[in-house]
Amino acid sequence: MPVDIEKNILLFLLISVGLIALPHIYHIPASTFGFFALLLAWRFIGIWKPSCLPGKFLLFLLTVGGLVLLYSQHQGLFGRDAGTRLFMTALALKLLEIKQERDLYLIVFLAFIVAASQFLYEQSIAMAGYILFVCCVLLGTLVAINSRRQNTLNALKTAAVILAQALPLAIVLFVFFPRVEAPRWMLFEDKSRAKTGLSDSMEPGSISDLSFSDELVFRVRFQGQIPPNRLRYWRGPVFSVTDGKRWTAAKHYTYTAAAEPDFSEPAYRYTLLLEPQNNNWVFALEMAGDYPPQLRMNSEYLLTRSGNPDKRAEYPITSYPSYRTGTLEAHKLRTNTQLPGPTSQKITSLVKRLGGFDKRPEQFVDRVLQHFNQENFSYTLTPPLMENNPIETFLFETRSGFCSHYAAAFTYLMRVANIPARVVTGYHGGVLNPVGNFLEIRQADAHAWTEVWLKNRGWVRVDPTAAVAPERIEQNVNIEQQIASRNISFFSADSDLARQLDWLKQARQLWSSVDYNWQRWVINYHSANQTQFLASLGIESLKQMLFWLIGLGALFTAILSWLLLSRKEKTADKVLRCYRRFCARLGKAGLKRKAGEGPIDFAKRSKEAYPDQAAAIDEITGLFIKLRYQKESSQADLNRLSERVDRLKIRRR
Amino acid sequence: MQNPIAPLLDSANRIILGKQHQIRLALCCLLARGHLLIEDIPGVGKTTLAHTLAKLLGLNYQRIQFTSDILPSDIIGASIFDPEDRSFKFHPGPIFNQMILADEINRSTPKAQSALLEAMEEQQVTVEGKTYRLPSPFFVIATQNPAHQIGTFPLPESQLDRFLMRIELGYPDRNAERELLSGQSRYHLIENLKTELPPEPLKNIQQQVNTVHVSSALLDYMQNIITFTREFPDYPCGLSPRAGLSLLNAAKAWAFMDSRDAVLPEDVQAVLPAVAGHRLRSASQDSAAVVAPILERVNVL
Repeated sequence: MPVDIEKNILLFLLISVGLIALPHIYHIPASTFGFFALLLAWRFIGIWKPSCLPGKFLLFLLTVGGLVLLYSQHQGLFGRDAGTRLFMTALALKLLEIKQERDLYLIVFLAFIVAASQFLYEQSIAMAGYILFVCCVLLGTLVAINSRRQNTLNALKTAAVILAQALPLAIVLFVFFPRVEAPRWMLFEDKSRAKTGLSDSMEPGSISDLSFSDELVFRVRFQGQIPPNRLRYWRGPVFSVTDGKRWTAAKHYTYTAAAEPDFSEPAYRYTLLLEPQNNNWVFALEMAGDYPPQLRMNSEYLLTRSGNPDKRAEYPITSYPSYRTGTLEAHKLRTNTQLPGPTSQKITSLVKRLGGFDKRPEQFVDRVLQHFNQENFSYTLTPPLMENNPIETFLFETRSGFCSHYAAAFTYLMRVANIPARVVTGYHGGVLNPVGNFLEIRQADAHAWTEVWLKNRGWVRVDPTAAVAPERIEQNVNIEQQIASRNISFFSADSDLARQLDWLKQARQLWSSVDYNWQRWVINYHSANQTQFLASLGIESLKQMLFWLIGLGALFTAILSWLLLSRKEKTADKVLRCYRRFCARLGKAGLKRKAGEGPIDFAKRSKEAYPDQAAAIDEITGLFIKLRYQKESSQADLNRLSERVDRLKIRRR
Repeated sequence: MQNPIAPLLDSANRIILGKQHQIRLALCCLLARGHLLIEDIPGVGKTTLAHTLAKLLGLNYQRIQFTSDILPSDIIGASIFDPEDRSFKFHPGPIFNQMILADEINRSTPKAQSALLEAMEEQQVTVEGKTYRLPSPFFVIATQNPAHQIGTFPLPESQLDRFLMRIELGYPDRNAERELLSGQSRYHLIENLKTELPPEPLKNIQQQVNTVHVSSALLDYMQNIITFTREFPDYPCGLSPRAGLSLLNAAKAWAFMDSRDAVLPEDVQAVLPAVAGHRLRSASQDSAAVVAPILERVNVL
């Protein structure tokens, strides 16, 4: 039999369900979310027009429809996406079937699960705050269901108090409860979402896709000195093989271990917090000397990690900007001078003109850079399209491009002159967050440069982009990009607007700092970190930790039960609270009210003990009796009672 | 309307000396439309109390002396053949009076006892298929000798429950006794009493008693008391729902006599020994001792 469920409870419930589902709009296909929204809207209308709610048969059809919709997208119910969508669909269908109070509870619990599933997609601090808020609303719904007299605001207040009380326990559990790593199958479908980032091949122009992406790649916190911008080259994949257009890595020896270069001071020590990536590259500052054992360095001095690149990871690394690599083996020489077919006449004559065939390699490098600098080459993020023969087109016709064009062309010219050279991609620069004192490197900082092998020095970094647009390298200013993203200001520095923008910048930096710590301490708190942290507390093993947990639990229980038991039973009755305060005052002075003593008897006894306060005692007792036992009383009486009790002065006997 | 309770009590206190509380309880019982059971040894003034109240209230008064050979018809009345009419004619018994003093009720056999008690409960008697209403107000004061005396049939618990209150009179104190001994004859004094509260105003008052306000806080306290009696191991059985209603009515009447329009916990406590004592432990004579644990342990607030 349908039970009459109050309108405002239903309204409250539906609003909270809507709030919970809202962020899923980013991860759920439009069809499923549309299905959910449709049923939710239907239910909303049903509040005022119960007759339009679906009957049993229609509900069955809807259920089948929802399942078919799910199945058509996933062919199964495994995995994160399918599971989340199944819960959403079930939640929506259950909304249409509210018949008893039990159904309300079921919906609330389902909604909690859907809220939790949000964390499978996004774990930012803002999302955590939002989910916390939503949980508060859900709890408020539960409170409202259970105490129908309460109004909405009171229910929310109660829920917030409950939530605040639960937080310390959640923190203790978070820190001490054994961390379980999510099994891999849960993340299967995450692959389908393409992340931006460096790819394992390069075509001139490919990096420009990243140039406007504000997405964070990694953060670096230095111990001690931060290197100047011109040294901040974060090494990524190295490309030595080209077909004239496309550059790829030399696969056959990528994973052979590198001969360690000779390093010389200064050294930079830092911690690198890597955001989830598509590939397992670790972008260390050139050139990494010491790194944790779970990282490996390949023969191209690129650090790679084993395991899931989808997860955030933190690595302590030491880098030395001045280094000297050793000799070049024959097969490497071959790879790094490889050219796609014969060189065109135009290029050969250019190389000849610049002294590629008769000068020393160092001189040739300088002259090519000079050529870039003095001829009419320009730096732009929106170069014209170069379809065929891009290097030649770039060198002689368009003469405008950005880092990957310059790096590719430069490498090509070197190889024509038979100097071993290769393209290195990675990131350059990074913005210092002065609040948290760390560097933030975003996708927009993606860069490509060249490495040239010189006889006495080994591999040497040459950045041809610096010859064209030195400001990009020296100050990390990317004019076009900043104009495009409207970061650049055309107002004078001391104008009001500029100051406001400055405020905005500071706020943004502060937020980034908070987010960094959130990522570092909360999201990145996995089992290894936990073990380390607990070890620093002196907890070495799981068994010991269990003892800790049980011990802490027992301690909390003991403290709480002592508090609860020692406290007088609390009551929601304001009148009674006032009177108890009055009794407590007399009690402190040595006159305790007996359990079975009525107010009049107690008043008589206290008047005998304190004849000077007889009038006050009489008035308090009279007001209390009026408020508690008589038919009519007013708020004013309560206020007066409270005020009289506060004013009562009892001297200790 | 001037409160007629105070002069009434004054007059009664002048006849029965040193028993203010018991007289007050007896009047309270009457205002709450209940019947009163007085348990005490002979000669402490039970009859005088009943007689005084009847006189002050202007009620028809009849005393029925219960003996071991009394029959129900001696109480209710009987149909007797009238030779002139050639028909049976009902002759009402002594019960057809507004105030009955059932003296030494536990000396009679259970059969006679139950005849009276049924009449008390239903406010009517049925003889040979015909129902006769009893006068209104109808008030029974029964007296009872302590159960340990020879030749008594103690009232069973179920019948004790029909009495709203049981009170003990007890010996008078030294001063009161002195006054009694040196004063006028009580019988003479009673004869000269004038009616303080005639039946019509009495009905009015009984109705006003019903309107005395009972707050939910007080009901909480009452329910705590009732629950306590049901759970406390020293009581053979707890208070019945009827007993709870009786307690509430008595407390209302007590509040009214104190000129208050709302019941306070003190009112409940004042009537509790008289109302609950005989229900909780019939054999005990000291009602105050019986209810002491309740008064001590059940929290008022």
